[in-house]
Amino acid sequence: MGVITHTPAEKALIDLLDGAEDWRAAARQAVVEHGLPTKRAEAWKWSDLRRASQGVETAGVVKVTLNDASAPTRVTLDGDARLVLDATAGVSVASLEIEIPAGARVCLNEVHKMAESAFLTARLEIHLGEGAVLERVVTSDVPETSVPVVRTRVTVSAGATYRQATLTFGSRLSRHETHVTHAGEGAEVHLGGVYLLSENRHADFTSTVTHTGPGGLTRQLVKGAAAAHAQGVFQGKFKVEQAAQQTDAKMTHRALMLDDRAEIDAKPELEIYADDVQCAHGNALGAIDETALFYMRQRGLSEVKARALLIESFLAEPLGLISDETLREHVTGLLRDRLERIA
Amino acid sequence: MLKINNLHCQVETQDGEEKPILKGLSLEVPAGEVHAIMGPNGSGKSTLSYVLTGRDGYEVTDGKMDFLGEDIAELEPEERAAKGLYLSFQYPVEIPGVPTLTFLKEALNAQRASRGEAEMTAPEFLKFAREQAKALGVSMDMLKRPVNVGFSGGEKKRMEILQALILQPKFLILDETDSGLDIDALKTVAEGVNTLRSPERGMLVITHYQRLLDHIKPDVVHVMAAGRILKSGGPELAHELEAEGYDKYLGEVT
Repeated sequence: MGVITHTPAEKALIDLLDGAEDWRAAARQAVVEHGLPTKRAEAWKWSDLRRASQGVETAGVVKVTLNDASAPTRVTLDGDARLVLDATAGVSVASLEIEIPAGARVCLNEVHKMAESAFLTARLEIHLGEGAVLERVVTSDVPETSVPVVRTRVTVSAGATYRQATLTFGSRLSRHETHVTHAGEGAEVHLGGVYLLSENRHADFTSTVTHTGPGGLTRQLVKGAAAAHAQGVFQGKFKVEQAAQQTDAKMTHRALMLDDRAEIDAKPELEIYADDVQCAHGNALGAIDETALFYMRQRGLSEVKARALLIESFLAEPLGLISDETLREHVTGLLRDRLERIA
Repeated sequence: MLKINNLHCQVETQDGEEKPILKGLSLEVPAGEVHAIMGPNGSGKSTLSYVLTGRDGYEVTDGKMDFLGEDIAELEPEERAAKGLYLSFQYPVEIPGVPTLTFLKEALNAQRASRGEAEMTAPEFLKFAREQAKALGVSMDMLKRPVNVGFSGGEKKRMEILQALILQPKFLILDETDSGLDIDALKTVAEGVNTLRSPERGMLVITHYQRLLDHIKPDVVHVMAAGRILKSGGPELAHELEAEGYDKYLGEVT
């Protein structure tokens, strides 16, 4: 294999991670040897990170704050919290471990902020103890020139509930990865995602849920809408190990093409080694219902308003996972504001 | 009030071809009158309702349609709605996720804003909507549900009339409002329509059958076939059509 010529972003990343430990050392080594992933890598075929990070040439800084205070790299949460990842221009890396103790109930409001031309690689490790409940609400409203790549690994113990609702408006490349290890035994995982992409933006929801124990429940619902030259990517995988009998798992991705020139790429996968399970996946693409649009305009709504209402009603469903009404209204409001600008 | 003169309209078919549907239709409905249009399937009745309200794909190629003295052919559907044109759809559309009350409040206030009128506040609107719903025997529970979702054919038609009662248009086009209704639902809907009759309001009732006209008594009945009005007369014309059918009119044009 030939020696690769590193891009400025790769060089900055290699320098930044010099002497790093844990996953960062491995990540550095991967970049040294192969560069950032390109579309030739199966898992990145619709999200060419090497290409998207061109133009980012310097090192940057990411500030990680928890309830407005600088966050340690390991934290135990037993009450509601607000987590902010705030990246400056350039390449930056964030790492955070979160422990939710057995029986705790936590709502984590997570906000991603990016400067123009910021390229953030973040890794979150979340562990839910037995019977714990974590509701994680992620909003990503970032500049088009930024590139956030946020990978979260979640381990869910018996009887615990993990609910995640993510809203993103995309960017040059936005990747939200969630990898869940699901113990079953009464544990529940609910993954909700919404992407609304104006022209030229990209968003990628990639996830795996691995059921390792029996009797687990997983519901995943991702809905998206994409304008001209925008690209929505959904890669979802459920893996059910042999011990995970009576797993009940359902995956749904539905997208609305707001323009013929939008691109939606979806790869739902089931990998099942247990024989007594209920697993299903569904994937559907559609366009705005022109008859409904005319009906609404005939009643007096402007075309923009009618389109916004139709798109909102299509997209809002996964946000129903947010149980706190104030937070749900806030996130739905972000969606609505965005729609008024692009509908 | 509504004045249509020598209207020609073509519709884009699914193959992308332009097909002429209306071929020189003329019609005038003064304020305060109810006119019925009767005609066989394929005569262009629904096309007339869509071209009047400005649906995409329905192109006027000749003639004129004036509403309240203004040519409306170039106006957007929502501009025509704000001027007071209302279409009760033959097949009311389901809109999942949008509660009926929210939809109607947005629609009413959009129309009012477009006319330069003050918007109605939420409590004012709720009170007004409740009164109108009660008159038509529609529960508030139904109004909280998404627009037309899960409603029976009869309920949808009743909601169309309720929407008209709330939006208070100047002119109503009722497109096959009787289809899918049993006799009790037909009576309720007709009562709703009759309460909307007023000296300032005009109506065009499009129907295939005469039975609706027993409950909504028209001032004038027009017979339409092959994209034109072939005969106009009083209510007795509807009974004549019921007895004799459309054959003799179809004979005239083919």
